[in-house]
Amino acid sequence: MPRTRIVAAFAAAALIGLTGCGANAGAANNTGVDFPKKGKSIELIVAFSSGGAVDTAARLVQPILEKELGTNVEVINKPGAGGQIGYTQLTSAKPDGYTIGATGSPSVVVSPLDPARGAKYTRASFQPLGRQVIDPTVIAVQPDSPFKTLKDLLDAAKANPKSMTASTTGLQTGEHFALAQLQETTGAEFAPVHFSEGASQATTAFLGKHVDILVANVSDVTDLSKQGKARVLGVMTAERAPSLPDVPTFKESGYELEAGTVRGYSAPAGLPEAVATKLEAAIQKAIEDPTVVKKMADLGLQTSYLSGKDYGEFWASQEEDFKKVLPLVQKTD
Amino acid sequence: MDTLNELANGFASALTWQNLIFAFLGCLLGTIIGVLPGIGPVAGVALLIPLTMNLDATGAIIMLCAIFYGTAYGGTITSVLLNTPGEAASAITTIDGYAMTKIGKAGAALTIAAVGSFVGGTIATLGLVAAAKPLGELGLLVGPPEFFALMVVGISLLVALAGKSMVKALISGALGLLISMVGIDPVAGAPRFTFGSDNLLDGVSFVAVIVGVFGLSEILSYRKDSKAAAVHAPGMRSLLPTGNEWRRSAPSMARGTGIGFGLGLIPGMTGSVSSLLAYGAEKKFSKHRDQLGKGAIEGVAGPETANNAHANAALIPLFTLGIPASPTIAVLMGAFLQQGLTPGPTLFTEHSEIAWAIIASLFIGNVLLLLLNVPLVGLWTSILRVPASILTALILLFMVIGAYTINFNVFDVFVMIGFGLLGLALRHLDIPLAPMVLTLVLGPLMERSLRESLEISQGDFGIFLNRPISVVLIGIGVLIVLSPLLKLRKPKALNEDPET
Amino acid sequence: MTKPQRTRVAPTVLAGIGAFVVVGVYVLVSSIGLGLWTSLGPGPGMFPFAMGGLLVAMSALWLVQELREPSGTASGVDRGLVLSVVISLALLAAVMDLIGFQLSMFIFLMYHLKIRGGRRWVSSLIIAVAGSFGAFYAFNYGLNVTLPTAGISVLNSIGL
Repeated sequence: MPRTRIVAAFAAAALIGLTGCGANAGAANNTGVDFPKKGKSIELIVAFSSGGAVDTAARLVQPILEKELGTNVEVINKPGAGGQIGYTQLTSAKPDGYTIGATGSPSVVVSPLDPARGAKYTRASFQPLGRQVIDPTVIAVQPDSPFKTLKDLLDAAKANPKSMTASTTGLQTGEHFALAQLQETTGAEFAPVHFSEGASQATTAFLGKHVDILVANVSDVTDLSKQGKARVLGVMTAERAPSLPDVPTFKESGYELEAGTVRGYSAPAGLPEAVATKLEAAIQKAIEDPTVVKKMADLGLQTSYLSGKDYGEFWASQEEDFKKVLPLVQKTD
Repeated sequence: MDTLNELANGFASALTWQNLIFAFLGCLLGTIIGVLPGIGPVAGVALLIPLTMNLDATGAIIMLCAIFYGTAYGGTITSVLLNTPGEAASAITTIDGYAMTKIGKAGAALTIAAVGSFVGGTIATLGLVAAAKPLGELGLLVGPPEFFALMVVGISLLVALAGKSMVKALISGALGLLISMVGIDPVAGAPRFTFGSDNLLDGVSFVAVIVGVFGLSEILSYRKDSKAAAVHAPGMRSLLPTGNEWRRSAPSMARGTGIGFGLGLIPGMTGSVSSLLAYGAEKKFSKHRDQLGKGAIEGVAGPETANNAHANAALIPLFTLGIPASPTIAVLMGAFLQQGLTPGPTLFTEHSEIAWAIIASLFIGNVLLLLLNVPLVGLWTSILRVPASILTALILLFMVIGAYTINFNVFDVFVMIGFGLLGLALRHLDIPLAPMVLTLVLGPLMERSLRESLEISQGDFGIFLNRPISVVLIGIGVLIVLSPLLKLRKPKALNEDPET
Repeated sequence: MTKPQRTRVAPTVLAGIGAFVVVGVYVLVSSIGLGLWTSLGPGPGMFPFAMGGLLVAMSALWLVQELREPSGTASGVDRGLVLSVVISLALLAAVMDLIGFQLSMFIFLMYHLKIRGGRRWVSSLIIAVAGSFGAFYAFNYGLNVTLPTAGISVLNSIGL
């Protein structure tokens, strides 16, 4: 029928025209990127509530991003469900560079892995832009504990599985995965106690001697170690943590294990190349800015920049690690 | 004595013009934030931290602490006047507070609340000065089993809150517990009753629920022909409490201080638990307990004192151990860290002048709160003079903004609407709201601590009976539940003994 | 001995009891699926199961109490008020993200002030503007709290 054919032709022409426009804009963008447009603000979605570590980091980075990109950057908090709500909003936004977000693992790595949580995104929904800080996991015992080295502790645990309680900050959190990875690589099994209110609750229980072992991040433990309230036996990272120089890494003690909290920034997948480059450059500038680095260090967080591509690879390897121990972490008897 | 010396120096620096202004601003902002339902103390403190970044460390922390305990009072204002709690801890005050407003005694309620807050806060701060370190250590003794035992005591108070119909109170309590179980459970980490919604993964927002169940249902239940009709704006004379009311409040304030202070020391206890348990204690022990629910001053004095005592006592673990007892204090701690101060014992050795200036300012802040709010009672109560049509529209505006700003999510507005309807139904069916609030607050804490205790003991229920503190607490809980039966027994026993 | 008045149980009370029973049964059934016990103690379904059971049991008791001695219900509800408030609130929440807080709240307030409240145009407009646009700016610039802006880009660009 001629009429439908005309409509179809029209539609096809329109489509071609539109893509042509896009292509033209893209071509023009190669030299002077038209991003971001003057006056159009960029949203930085933080999937956690204000005042927390992720939010604080984002707000520290915001003014520098504004300077580098030449436009307003608005931090928007969308807390809830351990980050899932904010991540969902981030990944469902248009990948045009005007929406970016703070991504933290393990929350962003773990949430799509568990089908029960019904997350509407996967790793592929994100385009990493840059990694900001790492906060490696450590294992600490009571100051009066008989275990002086990591090997002592792990041997004892291997001999008597589940005889000692170890804290985590909840089911399927970083610490829980770390304990599972520990069991997987060394055979040492602890009885996890999940403190879903977070690291401070776990620390309190540890100080009150209600749990034997504290599994936490370097930032949580540094002060305790200085006061002699906890003996840190090992840190799960490739190199020694700057704030805990006397603590050997797991690698040095003979165990191949790396785990920790990692925070960075990502965009929804599918960014145009030029936009991605510009964003990454700005983010790198912000992350490596000396005042930001110092403030992060004050909070106990170690700045360890990785470019978007490297962050992406790191993220993939973390996901692999977690997938391996997922069954261990999911069993509910 | 060293401590007194240090404290005196602290006062000297806290009483400088700048620090006084910061304290005042903090109290003012805190009160305002407390008034707004959605922006709880956590968000409020967090949002205002950037403001304080440019100030010196002492001034910044003074202001932030003032905001923190200021919010404890702000929530009361709307609870009493509009039946809409401004924050979780003020939820229980709505019951008697609003009842007092309906009989024209809003001013008395607000004044007693202000004074009670002052008393509770000041005594708690005295505790901080006198015995911070041992008290901090005391808080550590409470592990998951003791926490659970405390929750048992709390829930047993449901019996006390029952009123005339135990059946209806139990329905209310069961409802509250069920609502609290929506979300990811602490046992298996899997979603429970979330119907596939991401928004429910964290559970139903408590603030959205109470704004709906109290505030919205109140509006929905207006009837043109109702005799209890218009809420009276009090005349000048009735702005202040009568001598009788002062006398009745005194024991309530004492109980509230004790409860708030004790619970504030326990990391993980929220202010709402303190105010709830204080209300329960009033129901159990006060002379005029049968008037509770109809506008008894004890129902305001007890919880409000407990609330502020709790807020100030909760600073003790922060100062002595560097442990934030609640999310709000965690944010406060972040501010400390950003200013280069590390809370904990090192604070007193490395930055002792700053630490003592802050503590002195806690006292000053409590005074400022009192001075700020008592004269303003007249101003607040004049809100009631606004014509009903405007007031209703504005209250709705206020509640919508409140619900939205909890999580910056319109879902919570829908939650509020839903619970408004539920509240309407419950009122209509004469089902009490207090038990539901009680279980809503205590339910998650109870389930969580039960699970944690069993993880520690690897499944052995004996853990609750092996530890002295938890045995005592569970015993108290059992006593409270059985006490109505015991009371019935007593007259008989007296009769049987011929010698008495 | 006076005979108790044989009044019927009010329909709303029956409806209420029925609703609680339905909820109770639903919870009872679904909580079994959640798992009642694990190796370490109560499972995710334990407390809901108990509460579901409690609801059903108490509702049954309540019914018995009502049949023996029917309580008079509190006087009725102003249906018009309830409907208008609930529906306007629901609509407001539904469009707030779409057309932005300022516009949606303005319409909402105008409805309640002018149409339901019967106030005059001038005062309604002033209050509505203050409550919507005013509140937006106060929260945004005063407290740094962002209320929703419009999802539709056309409206967004004019500052809504």
